[in-house]
Amino acid sequence: MSESTFMGVERDRIDWSPRIDFSKCNDCMDCVKFCPHQVFEVDENAKPKLKVKNPNNCVVFCRACAKTCGPDAITFPDKTETTKMIKAIRKAEKAAEKEAEANE
Amino acid sequence: MSESICVLPCNGLDKCAGDLSRRVALELAQSAEVALICPVLLNQNRSRYEKALAAGDLTVIDGCNTRCASKLAGDLELAIKDKVNVSEVAKTLDIKLGVDIQENDDTRAVVQAVLAKVNSSAADQAESEFIEPEAVEYNSFSHGKFIFKVPQSNYFFNENDCWVTVSGNMARVGVSDYVQQNLSDILYVDPPEIGDEFEQFDDLGSIESSKAVFEIISPVSGTVVAVNSSLNDAPEQVNESPYEKGWLVEVKLRDFSEDQDLLHDCPAYFEFLQRKVAEIDV
Ligand code: SF4
Ligand code: SF4
Repeated sequence: MSESTFMGVERDRIDWSPRIDFSKCNDCMDCVKFCPHQVFEVDENAKPKLKVKNPNNCVVFCRACAKTCGPDAITFPDKTETTKMIKAIRKAEKAAEKEAEANE
Repeated sequence: MSESICVLPCNGLDKCAGDLSRRVALELAQSAEVALICPVLLNQNRSRYEKALAAGDLTVIDGCNTRCASKLAGDLELAIKDKVNVSEVAKTLDIKLGVDIQENDDTRAVVQAVLAKVNSSAADQAESEFIEPEAVEYNSFSHGKFIFKVPQSNYFFNENDCWVTVSGNMARVGVSDYVQQNLSDILYVDPPEIGDEFEQFDDLGSIESSKAVFEIISPVSGTVVAVNSSLNDAPEQVNESPYEKGWLVEVKLRDFSEDQDLLHDCPAYFEFLQRKVAEIDV
């Protein structure tokens, strides 16, 4: 899992995962049931019970669990900013590759 | 007199959104063509509604995103023809629905907006300007008992398993064979509004099976020009022909060369999907 990428960019360089507003969350755990990617973890003894344990398991640009959340407690980072950032990283990497080739 | 629309409302009578669903349903039921379905009785004894359901199309009114009414229809494998979500409509009006039942201008406005949405027959759409390719050739690979197909050329994919195929400045968007197989029988396609402008990776509606809802994440940026209206009566076309007959949205492209930077071509998606399927299933 550690070597996972999105469009060639290492996943851990992309900040994309659900943010929970615990003042709204009612512990229904619908989001946990919904997401098939083990992004969330439930700890019955903790408060809050819900935790975004594996943010980098979240599928970049997926926002599906937010739709299942009745009280609207889930938000995501700004999509346009994230897109820009991914493009910038890709560009920089391509440029670096080219330079490396030129230096060989 | 035959009833031609069955309305299945949310049953959350103790909460504001549920109460509004009730008000909308009662309002609709004033028409002789509308039969009301009680979700509790439907769940208990489906045969009571067999006749009405056979004679009419099903409209579902969900109160909130818990979508109990939709889920009930899905569990009973009832085909949903039209569907509306009271909380989503309230959101578009910038009205906050609390928990408490209220009768005031805000809730009346929401009821009216929901009614308008149910009554608006599919917006007029222009004749399709999209030129369909002659025949699509596929490559496939198998994993366990599944076989996954990917076109050989002319389609582009994002890593959210949605495709786009382009003709001039027009394009069609749909979901890949992988999504279709994951969801299994698709019961409902919720299309975007015609005229909507959207960015790459925005939502372009959703498709729904009894297993799950899948949000269409747009591979491109542009404007919605048409939706595949044949899916209203035959959503299973997305299962049967995900890359051709089961296309979802027709769009006018804004800047495809810019979008392409974050898309895979067919061979690259084929590889991506092979890796993904192998990773998920071991
Ligand atoms: S779906 Fe929403 S309310 Fe329910 S546990 Fe998740 S964040 Fe909390
Ligand atoms: S956005 Fe999608 S992948 Fe991410 S946590 Fe929610 S459902 Fe899971």
